[in-house]
Amino acid sequence: MSVDLGEGLVRVEFDEELYPRDAIYGAAYVFIDRCYVHLDRVADKRIQVSLKAKKPGIDSPALAGEFQNELLGQAWRQKIVEDNRQLVETITARALGGAAGPPGLDELLAMDIGEETAFDDPLGIAMSWEEKYKKKGKTNEAKGEEDVVGASATSGGEAP
Amino acid sequence: MIELRFHQELYDGFAIDEAVKTYASYASTELERDGGNYVVKVTATPESLASGIDERTLCFELSNYALGLTIERARGGGTG
Repeated sequence: MSVDLGEGLVRVEFDEELYPRDAIYGAAYVFIDRCYVHLDRVADKRIQVSLKAKKPGIDSPALAGEFQNELLGQAWRQKIVEDNRQLVETITARALGGAAGPPGLDELLAMDIGEETAFDDPLGIAMSWEEKYKKKGKTNEAKGEEDVVGASATSGGEAP
Repeated sequence: MIELRFHQELYDGFAIDEAVKTYASYASTELERDGGNYVVKVTATPESLASGIDERTLCFELSNYALGLTIERARGGGTG
């Protein structure tokens, strides 16, 4: 119900049980650029909206009708948001969890990895190729050759 | 002097303070609380009246500003 008070001023009353306050705020915000909007509580659960067009010559009842339509749209949108809130929260949480990616260096350093807590490696995947395939008999010979090469390289480096 | 009444359940006190500060150069104001209302008594300064600013329009603008800020703060967009 709207009341035209003349001078471009119109008042509309709404029941907060039907139209939540956030919806009334939303509709008021839409009208704030072309109207002077004032809210008042006239009774328990009843909000009165006063609208006055900033420009003269605007049809007040039409303004009230537009406000009521906008309010209905806002209330409906709010209901959709409430209905889908859980779904949106679940999808957002999953997206953020996936975007976090693998642990960073700090997290890895903070992990307690020792002899007891290290993972099992029954297939020898963590073993290096040399360690896995070198012949045991040649181990000592190879080591000896490495020593000779290392020594000659050192002496070669010192020669003038 | 024009008296504006803002219901405490519908208007944010901070928003009203901000609106009063914003229009302080155009009007002198007194803030009170009366029951469940914030009461703002607005008197346009002689300078603003001389420059053609209407006291009633000034009050409408102040009221609109307070409502806009209240809604923005209710939606979590407030800066204060």
